[in-house]
Amino acid sequence: MNLSNFSMDTVALPGDLAGKLDAVKKAGFSQIMLWAKDLANYPGGFAAAVELVTTSGLKVTGLQVIRDYEGLEGSQHDCKVDLAKATLKMCRAINAPLLIVCSTTVDLPADSATKMAQDLRKLANLAVPQGVRIGYKAVPWGSVTRSNEDAWEMVMAVDHANFSLVIDSFHLMANQTELDSLEEIDPQKIALLQLADFSATEIRTPRDKRDTSIHMRVFPGEGVHSSELAAILRRLERIGYRGDIGFLVFNDDYHQLPQEDVLEHARRSAKWVTDQVLRRSLPLRMTAKRSVA
Amino acid sequence: MTENNSDVLSRSENPLGLEGVEFVEYATAQPEGLGKTLELMGFAYIARHRSRRVFLYRQGTMTIVVNADHEMLNGTDLQGDSVTLSGIAFRVADASSAYRHMVDLGAWPIPTRAGAMELNIPGVHGVGDSVIYLVDRHRDFSIFDVDFVFDTQVSSQPPALAGMHFFGLVQYVGAGRMEEWIDFYDQLLGFTPLPQGESFGILTRGSLLKSPCNQFYLQLFGPPEDVSYDIEWDESLARLGIGTPDVHAAVEQLQARGVTFEEGGLIKVTDKGALTRMFPGKVHFELVASRIGAAS
Repeated sequence: MNLSNFSMDTVALPGDLAGKLDAVKKAGFSQIMLWAKDLANYPGGFAAAVELVTTSGLKVTGLQVIRDYEGLEGSQHDCKVDLAKATLKMCRAINAPLLIVCSTTVDLPADSATKMAQDLRKLANLAVPQGVRIGYKAVPWGSVTRSNEDAWEMVMAVDHANFSLVIDSFHLMANQTELDSLEEIDPQKIALLQLADFSATEIRTPRDKRDTSIHMRVFPGEGVHSSELAAILRRLERIGYRGDIGFLVFNDDYHQLPQEDVLEHARRSAKWVTDQVLRRSLPLRMTAKRSVA
Repeated sequence: MTENNSDVLSRSENPLGLEGVEFVEYATAQPEGLGKTLELMGFAYIARHRSRRVFLYRQGTMTIVVNADHEMLNGTDLQGDSVTLSGIAFRVADASSAYRHMVDLGAWPIPTRAGAMELNIPGVHGVGDSVIYLVDRHRDFSIFDVDFVFDTQVSSQPPALAGMHFFGLVQYVGAGRMEEWIDFYDQLLGFTPLPQGESFGILTRGSLLKSPCNQFYLQLFGPPEDVSYDIEWDESLARLGIGTPDVHAAVEQLQARGVTFEEGGLIKVTDKGALTRMFPGKVHFELVASRIGAAS
């Protein structure tokens, strides 16, 4: 199985950074999505963490995560910019080409959209000399940007080549997003597709969405929304998205399992994802051959 | 192009009030070697810093700062005779407000007095380890009058060979990073891409951006797309482009001083431009047919 387009997110894995890197590589993945806390909490210190990552042989897909960044004023803004700069330096240290920013959950004035776009454009500029791209994703419990459509509007408002969209399948499903809205998106402006399913049949309130999102995700192909997830995959394939796929699976249960067992779920999931895309492609190829004959 | 042209631009088109380039800075641990190279290229040594290993070379309107300051070198991996293009100083209407504008839009400030001068010249990080300085003292007196001791035996305003003047800088950008850098220079400095098909010089690959004052260019180019192997390609400033109204006259005068030019394949001396062979420290210069500053 070709795992080269799949990125394993460390959030699903128990253990420290060294163990995660080693296990992900042994499972056959060539890419890993790291969290800033993986590096900051490493018992050997940050420099040792950087050494581990850069000599691991794994390609770093990106670094998670900046939260509650955009739309703030005065010293709050300055403080967030300082944090963002420190995180960008971490990205540079580990050759992470992408930094993910989640939409803010801070209550902001109603007319904050312009200021939010300004702040995000500033972040895009800060990231250019560091060789880092900014990926922006909506969280359903965000204060202003809550849906994928909102996030795409913000990407267009920011209007910077270094600022792109991150799509999280869980959020699309939790928001019951109309997939036709994906047709509006320029696939070149999608920095990453993050995939996960979940076990609940329905989640209604923002609080439920948040709780499910950060505690009860499962790997694609193992939840109760496989058909919806497959439809998302096929739609993104159809609009031309050919980028990486990351498994973003927050699940407390996985942290009670050996890393190898969790990664076996991830491998099975990669097979499932590949099958969904192939099922869509095969009939098209056969049709093309017939028309030539 | 005269300064009057930039004066008529609106603030939004030229948000910093850019008015050309005050100096270009090289860093090296062996300033003598680079000094010889610059003298071959027609620059004259005119001054040294009062307290640091920093030297000034000039011809015509071009001033080069050679920074060999120990404190600066400690922060780099420069060794032996290696040379790096380490900075560019843009002339702006108001350096403080230009600095604030750039930082507000996402430029990284450099620590105060980390640059070549004693004066507090505001600056922000450019590509790689380079610095973009912002200078507003260039009319009645210059920043150099304060920091530098001029050699009284030579003119502080040596003439330029063949009308040579600053034309632009060439920058390496990483694979797939062209549009990102174009937006960076557009938003922070007001540089805009030239239309497709418009180019200068003999090395036209990549994207060419024009300063809002029409007096300086940035050429960005990425790694070749047709290579299937990994190549080392750090984002950095690559070389200085020097304009001249008559490329052949400039080449002739420089050859007479001992400068040699690339003369093989696609890279050769033409009416449009020329490329010097590598000097020690892997420095080279590009000549570009240009009439920038011809009327000033």
